[in-house]
Amino acid sequence: MSGEAIWGWIFGFFLLSFAIALVAVIGGIGGGVLFTPFMLAFTSVDSLIVRATGLIVAMFSGLVSTGPFMRGGLANLKICILCAAAYGIGAFSGAQGAIYVAKHLGETGEGLIRLALGVILCSLAVYFVVGGKKIEWPEVKKVDGFTKWLKLSQPYYEVSLGKVIDYPLTRAGWSLVAIMGVGLLSGFFGLGAGWAIVPVQNLIMAVPLKVAAANSGVLLGMGDCIAVWPYLLIGAIIPIFAAPWLVGQVLGGLLGALILIKVKAGFVRYLLIGFMFFACFGLLAKGLTILGVIGTVPLWINGVVFLTIFLTVTRSIIKMSKAAKQEVSE
Amino acid sequence: MSIQNRPKMPPAQIYYGEIVYWITILACIVCMIGPVISLAFPERNILDPYNVFNSIFQGKSAEEVWQSVGGRFPGGHFYLGYFTYGDGLTQFGLALGCSVAIWALTGAIIAFLRKKSYVFAILGFWVALLVVLSMTGIVSGQH
Repeated sequence: MSGEAIWGWIFGFFLLSFAIALVAVIGGIGGGVLFTPFMLAFTSVDSLIVRATGLIVAMFSGLVSTGPFMRGGLANLKICILCAAAYGIGAFSGAQGAIYVAKHLGETGEGLIRLALGVILCSLAVYFVVGGKKIEWPEVKKVDGFTKWLKLSQPYYEVSLGKVIDYPLTRAGWSLVAIMGVGLLSGFFGLGAGWAIVPVQNLIMAVPLKVAAANSGVLLGMGDCIAVWPYLLIGAIIPIFAAPWLVGQVLGGLLGALILIKVKAGFVRYLLIGFMFFACFGLLAKGLTILGVIGTVPLWINGVVFLTIFLTVTRSIIKMSKAAKQEVSE
Repeated sequence: MSIQNRPKMPPAQIYYGEIVYWITILACIVCMIGPVISLAFPERNILDPYNVFNSIFQGKSAEEVWQSVGGRFPGGHFYLGYFTYGDGLTQFGLALGCSVAIWALTGAIIAFLRKKSYVFAILGFWVALLVVLSMTGIVSGQH
């Protein structure tokens, strides 16, 4: 391959990574959700190299956005550490038990679990659609003793509203159990967890949606520092191949963080709904394929579903912006 | 939700955020310089930069890529002996970025201890320990 061609690839990877990071940080998900299917679908790169580079993609946008989020208070370190500790236990147990349990669970069990996850995620996504403001800024009626003892709440200045938000939290214990469960499934099936961490914080602990998305990014950066090393140690991360993806994630993640700080919570909600429905489609399709109900879903169908979901999301965001402008002018 | 004055962030949060941010930026800069050195000085690489992309796009496994264009994989921490090599420097950038949680959590743990917030100091230590174990290869999260 000539020098020009190599530079072309490096620059192309950088641009793609930049775009992925921009969207991923605003939605509070790891960019791997977009990177891994794309690379597996359109290139012949070995799946281990794709998964390993996918972790770099998933973690670095989260890492670079950590600075602005922590400085401004949009992310909450105490919640992140609490979730990371629980997630680490779950993910480690899940990964260690995977081979042993897989023998007893079999293909059918794996297919059923994926289906169940897909249904749960679909229900959450529907709740996010109808929940509206309640999801964006949850109301807490009673704070339990354990959550109060942890002193997790931390007021911050919400740029989009131009005021300080002090959010009381609740059910920290249940959130820990849920995050451990997410970690267990994530470690067991090798799934990314960004799609689950935001709803768990928001629906159980009553963390405001934008804070939950920012925490999720920080948490992914922190947690993937554990997950990425086995890949680095076996050489699955090829330096010159991974570097442009890393650089794109850092620069795109920085811009994404600046946008998330200023953007309205409704925008984040719509974006998350899109990601949740797409992840749900993937889980259901994979589950049904494993169970032998349907054949392998062709790649073009994945592409059509992705485009349909995100065109709908874009339309909803445009409608929301127009309604907000009208409110202001009235 | 109440309206108050613009709040000041706790030191642990500031330390964690700043350490992660600046080390990530540094890792990014190193990963920008590394490939430039790789292509400018092809002989100063473990993997031949002009063939590595071909091997990857041919669908070769990681092991085969290292074998076909670099002889063999010299180990995850090979950058320690090859700082002046293009891919050695790039691998150092990757390793620096992938270990950032350890350095940032250390700063946060010290701040938590100063504030006598022992629960979060212990939890932070636990997460940092997991990263260290993973980095040394003692804990493997792989299937």
